[in-house]
Amino acid sequence: MQQLDNQEILMKLKSSKQFWDIKKKIKQGFNEQQKIGVNDIQKFAQSCEVEDQLIKLISHILKKSKKRETIKEDQIEFLNTSKVKWTELLFKNLDIVHQKTKNQEEDDTNTDSKLYIYDEKNLLAFLQTLKQQQSSSLYQNVQFQSNKLLNINIPLKSSQSILDKYQYLLLQEELQDEKINKIRKQIENEHLDIELEKIAQNFVPNGERCLLYLKYFEFDHQETVIQQNFAKLQKECLIQLFYDELLEIDGHEISEDTFYFVFQEQILTCLKCFIRDKTIKENIRIQFQNGLKKENTEFQLPVTGFFPFKNISKYVAPLCYLSTKIHIIYALFKEFFCRYFCFLHSISSESNSILSLCMQIEEIVSTRSPKLFHHLKVIGCDTLKLIIHQLVYCFIGDMDPPHILSIYDQIIGHDSLEILVILCVGFLNKYKPKLLLAKNGENIQQIFSELREDKFQELVQFAYKQ
Amino acid sequence: MQNKKLKWKSDFEKSVIIDNFINRGWIKSQEKEEESTDWNVYWATVWNVRNIFNPKNGFRLNDQQIINHFPNHYELTRKDCMVKNLKRFKREQDKEALEMLNFDFLPTTYIFPGEYSLFVEEFHRNPNQTWIVKPAARSQGKGIFLLRKIQQLKKISGTSVTSNMTQLNLASKENYVVSRYIDNPLLIGGKKFDLRMYVLVTNYKPLKVWIYNKGFGRFCNEQYTTDVAEIENMFVHLTNVAIQQYSDKYSQKHGGKYSIDALKLYVESAYGTDALQRMMDDIHNIMLTSLKSVQAVIQNDKHCFEMYGYDILLDSNLKPWLIEINASPSLTTTTPVDKNLKMNLINDVYNIVLPNDDFSDSESKQQTTNKVGGFTLLYDENLDPNIRKTQKRQSVKIWK
Repeated sequence: MQQLDNQEILMKLKSSKQFWDIKKKIKQGFNEQQKIGVNDIQKFAQSCEVEDQLIKLISHILKKSKKRETIKEDQIEFLNTSKVKWTELLFKNLDIVHQKTKNQEEDDTNTDSKLYIYDEKNLLAFLQTLKQQQSSSLYQNVQFQSNKLLNINIPLKSSQSILDKYQYLLLQEELQDEKINKIRKQIENEHLDIELEKIAQNFVPNGERCLLYLKYFEFDHQETVIQQNFAKLQKECLIQLFYDELLEIDGHEISEDTFYFVFQEQILTCLKCFIRDKTIKENIRIQFQNGLKKENTEFQLPVTGFFPFKNISKYVAPLCYLSTKIHIIYALFKEFFCRYFCFLHSISSESNSILSLCMQIEEIVSTRSPKLFHHLKVIGCDTLKLIIHQLVYCFIGDMDPPHILSIYDQIIGHDSLEILVILCVGFLNKYKPKLLLAKNGENIQQIFSELREDKFQELVQFAYKQ
Repeated sequence: MQNKKLKWKSDFEKSVIIDNFINRGWIKSQEKEEESTDWNVYWATVWNVRNIFNPKNGFRLNDQQIINHFPNHYELTRKDCMVKNLKRFKREQDKEALEMLNFDFLPTTYIFPGEYSLFVEEFHRNPNQTWIVKPAARSQGKGIFLLRKIQQLKKISGTSVTSNMTQLNLASKENYVVSRYIDNPLLIGGKKFDLRMYVLVTNYKPLKVWIYNKGFGRFCNEQYTTDVAEIENMFVHLTNVAIQQYSDKYSQKHGGKYSIDALKLYVESAYGTDALQRMMDDIHNIMLTSLKSVQAVIQNDKHCFEMYGYDILLDSNLKPWLIEINASPSLTTTTPVDKNLKMNLINDVYNIVLPNDDFSDSESKQQTTNKVGGFTLLYDENLDPNIRKTQKRQSVKIWK
């Protein structure tokens, strides 16, 4: 981990607005006083909380200076080997997809639409096949329940702790204008991520969301750099890659969405730049495919270190609401993906990984709604199969954009994807009465094919109903 | 709600109208369609309304009948009349300095053939300006084209322009309006769009106006460009669904329609809350000012109400411009979302104009509410303090 020396800390302090605000406050505190000693400053700083503010600011600088390293290896060995197997499977899929596109070029009537390397169902099906080869001595106390879809022993947070963590959302009320204005001012003045997280947990006014996100990711004073980097990537897009074709096909679904069709071109541009962005590999929190080079294949992994997958366009779409500038949209998407969404495609025991989130959902539903859990199993529609799409794509396409942005707020607010567990549980509870009457998969499909409107707050409420 | 067996009649075979009537338990008027007068509720074409109110026909509506147009709605909904009335109203306002209304929402417009020479003067002053030419009384984008050279007016069938451009001979008798083309529209995803919003007027004297909370942006299918080579590409410039549906890129799923709620979220998130508020205030101003401009000329009638479709274009500064006002906004539904919107729209219209299906006391019942379904009361002249001040001033003048 990189450490800063005092000079570097001072430089970083001086580049922060908050430092100058603190300095101004101290100066004003002493007015015209000619002689000011260190003791005087210390006493003053302690009396008006300036000392606390300075400590927080320095801690924040030190925290940010520690370069976060990409997680490559999991603490559970068999997951590492599983990741390799998964990547090998994806290479095979890539070959199949490539062949299909060649066939389509030759035959216009061939309209096979499965032109993607993998989707969420493929991922879940693979997770189902995971079997721990040896029971790890670390997790001997973990209960192994065979009625669950995923049978792996990994350290899991207690589901009660997740439910308790988000319970405050039940008490959220509509805010008065005065309070909203206060929050606006807070966002304008605040710089520390811990404070921004607190704001994001509670309420983010639409007009200030972009600023909050930019501040949280520390982009608020870096627009020129972001713009230049994006322009470089756009130039690289002039050289066509095979993956561009897959991205164009992926964009068709978003082009049919009533809330996102207007952003179709922007989304595609962002994704084309994304798969060419060499900095992704250093910034991504978890490497979710094993980037070994394959011999004798036409294609290797993109420079990002992973294959684009079905519906990757969905992750970009809601962010298009936040800015008219495509380089800003791109910067936000890249940050969200590298910090959070990457975990939704990772075979890992990390708490944000798809594996952990799935197991948490199963745990909560099986204990709090055992009747539903059992019924779905009996009719051949496992709980996870019902919600995997909503989970992997953060409900994008299932909820209107304002609700999706509330999800993004909570993700930042807790620096975690656990809010998706709450929402998935709420989703299942909402449709529980109809699901309990379903006799087969077809009935289930009919329930979800009807026009429905799922809302963030509503699903939170349902999550806590038993 | 009491489901009284009211009789309905409709000149439109539109499910959003007919299903609404059926859902209310109303029965179809059984008399022969064209001659039927045995109805309580009539969703009519503008021509049939004109006939009904034609004194020569000797037909009088009774107290148990309501109809969906005012007799001379065209004062607002014909493009040339709308422009004429707005210009007149502005002159009156400037003269009497009664209210500080903002009229800066109508692009510079000339009515042909009468104002042709004025147009030519303006044209020469700004030779790089693009103009948009529209027949005054047509709809769905028919006959509309963009103009950069006066000779292009020959596009109007049979029309000729003298070589020195001093005279225009319109072959047809119909008027045309020629407006400054807003060439810097707000773009989303690089595409031009306009807004369709719904306004219900239940009374002109005193004026009472309701605005609907749902509407949509209508998007072009091609990326916007001011390139002269694309000036005739209607898929770039004209947002009418009737035109865009023929584009290769047209989608049946969304029909190029983007909800007003989504647009508001976009504007607020990308431009700020204050910018959104200003934009909405300006839109409301357009609606009120345009309606006030015809208040004195519209034949008010207690049997009438009217639901208008306002077409508004936002420019790149988020400034709204009035394009036109439709007396018979399309009730064709192109997508499930569209159908849902229009079903609820018509339902809410009748919840306002005929609360509880009861003809008696409908006006007094509405006095206390300012929200019905998706409609919010935008303006009630009875409650406007400025009007009361003006009336007091005027009555004092009379007594003096």
